[in-house]
Amino acid sequence: MKTVIKTTDLTKIYNSSVAPVKAVDKVNLEFGEGEFTAIVGPSGSGKTTFLNLIGGLDKPTEGHVMIDDTDISNMKESKLFDFRLRNIGFVFQSYNLIPVLTAKENVSFIMLLQKESKAKMEKRAVEMLEQVGLSEKVDVRPSKLSGGQQQRVAVARALASKPKFVLADEPTANLDTESAFNLLDIMSRLNKEENITLIFSTHDQRVINRARRVITLVDGAVSKDETFDR
Amino acid sequence: MKTLIKISWRNIWRNRTRSIVIIVAIILGLMGGIFGAAMRLALEKQQFEDTIGTQVSHIQIHHPEFIAKPEARFRIPDGLQIASDLSNRDDVIVASPRTVFDGMAATANMNAGVRIKGIEPGIEAQTTGLDELLEEGSYLTENGRIPSILIGNALANKINAAVGSRLVLTFQDIEGEVINASFRVEGIYSLPSRAFEERTVFVKASEVNEAIGDPQAVSEIALVIDNQDEYRNIAAEIQELYPDTRVRHWADLQPALYYSLEVLNEALIWILIIVIMAVSFGLLNTILMSILERARELGMLLAIGMKRAKVFSMIVIETTIIALFGGVIGLISSYGMISILNRTGVPIPGGEGLGELGYASVLYPSLDIDFYFEIVVVLVVFAILASIYPAWKAIRLQPAEAVRQE
Ligand SMILES: Nc1ncnc2c1ncn2[C@@H]1O[C@H](COP(=O)(O)OP(=O)(O)O)[C@@H](O)[C@H]1O
Ligand SMILES: [Mg+2]
Repeated sequence: MKTVIKTTDLTKIYNSSVAPVKAVDKVNLEFGEGEFTAIVGPSGSGKTTFLNLIGGLDKPTEGHVMIDDTDISNMKESKLFDFRLRNIGFVFQSYNLIPVLTAKENVSFIMLLQKESKAKMEKRAVEMLEQVGLSEKVDVRPSKLSGGQQQRVAVARALASKPKFVLADEPTANLDTESAFNLLDIMSRLNKEENITLIFSTHDQRVINRARRVITLVDGAVSKDETFDR
Repeated sequence: MKTLIKISWRNIWRNRTRSIVIIVAIILGLMGGIFGAAMRLALEKQQFEDTIGTQVSHIQIHHPEFIAKPEARFRIPDGLQIASDLSNRDDVIVASPRTVFDGMAATANMNAGVRIKGIEPGIEAQTTGLDELLEEGSYLTENGRIPSILIGNALANKINAAVGSRLVLTFQDIEGEVINASFRVEGIYSLPSRAFEERTVFVKASEVNEAIGDPQAVSEIALVIDNQDEYRNIAAEIQELYPDTRVRHWADLQPALYYSLEVLNEALIWILIIVIMAVSFGLLNTILMSILERARELGMLLAIGMKRAKVFSMIVIETTIIALFGGVIGLISSYGMISILNRTGVPIPGGEGLGELGYASVLYPSLDIDFYFEIVVVLVVFAILASIYPAWKAIRLQPAEAVRQE
């Protein structure tokens, strides 16, 4: 299996006013192509920080993040913008969507920034919305969608441009159980069908067992790394 | 770009009330500023008309020595020929030859120093509209035994004269001999300028020319030109044609008026710039508020890879659209307002008294269409300037911080 992400001694120390906080502590991990991984751990264990580091949203204090053969830890700001746009899909806990755009326009947005052709963009957006079960909501704005539906649009957007991998930071944190399961099922299915590497963080016991690999963080360090066949 | 404009446009209407408030502020600001500007311009025009139109004309020609010593002997050589040549020029509407000198006007019991102007009544009417300034009597149409004279209202009061009164003018002829001549008041004119009214009397040129001993005498030629803005060039050109005379334009003759009009023009621009600046600060505040509210969303856009330059442009476009929206409606409303007021006129508060003095008590504002376009340009420039700070705030957001949920 091809390695997509590789971290070496990845460390992030926040210099807060009280005392320095080691949010991520010497993490050495590899993520293979097509993996479906959950990063779990209690609140404050460093999940968000870790995802931000491998997503190029934050700079490590020490160590490296290699995406394929590119070291993004020292990449220039302007290059990182482009790198994220071309290679990484993001799903956040909330505020994922542009409120003034319809579901379809939101799903097309990344492709639009990538300067895809209009026809291709439209086709793919509609196809992705079908995949997440929202073919009825193509022309609806986010405010008219439920929380679960909004997250599904965000997943559709993250996957539509076929990035190298997708990072989802606590995507189910604001959802009820049914919507949470539904979202994870969709993510799991798309991970298989589209063969896109997917990493999500959660402290929600309900959805951990959907992942095929579970990495547990404690105080910023990896304490368990388990693989399941499911 | 199209999508950027679409997003910007829709963003404006997310907080409808706030956007409408600022747009209304722009509209009212522009209407107020433009009303002020148009009224000032109308006042300016009025002042110009009052002084230049009826008293000074655009250009005056004299014998060089006449200016210091306004006496009958300082005449323009070949004056009648020059006046007729000038009136044939394309850029000159009318050239009025006059015989001018100082003297005394006396009634039975009072007298006053006056400037006597001998005129061709028909040409003078075209030049200054003197015939329309008459309050009483008629315009040098009688051909009685005693020659006619027109005097100003203020002089009539001062020396106790009325239409029909007998006046004796005392003056020197071209040789310096003192002459007395009797005139009958045929008409009384009225002008905004009391000083002019009190000092200036009009008689037929033929009458005084005979009295001073030169039937062809011309000591002043007043010109009305076609294109008012060209007065300096035309005056210079005429001066070159007639080097033995002294040619002066209205700004030379009325420096105080000239500078006050200049100051008005400056003030006009500043009024509008201040209005637009005030409006721009409102705009800046509006946009800044919307940026702060949308911090997470903007952070998300930066996180997923939307370039800072794009986010920056989005905010500049948003601001510009608001400014253009308010600006266009504001200017159309202003145009409508000025057009209506131009027809109905705007009474000046307390202007009834002005009317009695001969000043206009009603102004008719009007503005060049160019002016409106200039304002749009200024407004857009200021809007773009006002958007820079909020846009800069937006792109300084750290995506990792902005999207973090605690
Ligand atoms: N900007 C920051 N400044 C200082 N400390 C921070 C900052 N962001 C996160 N931390 C700290 O880093 C640790 C890890 O936080 P985070 O990555 O958000 O954990 P999780 O996502 O697992 O809740 C926590 O102790 C948190 O307080
Ligand atoms: Mg977190």
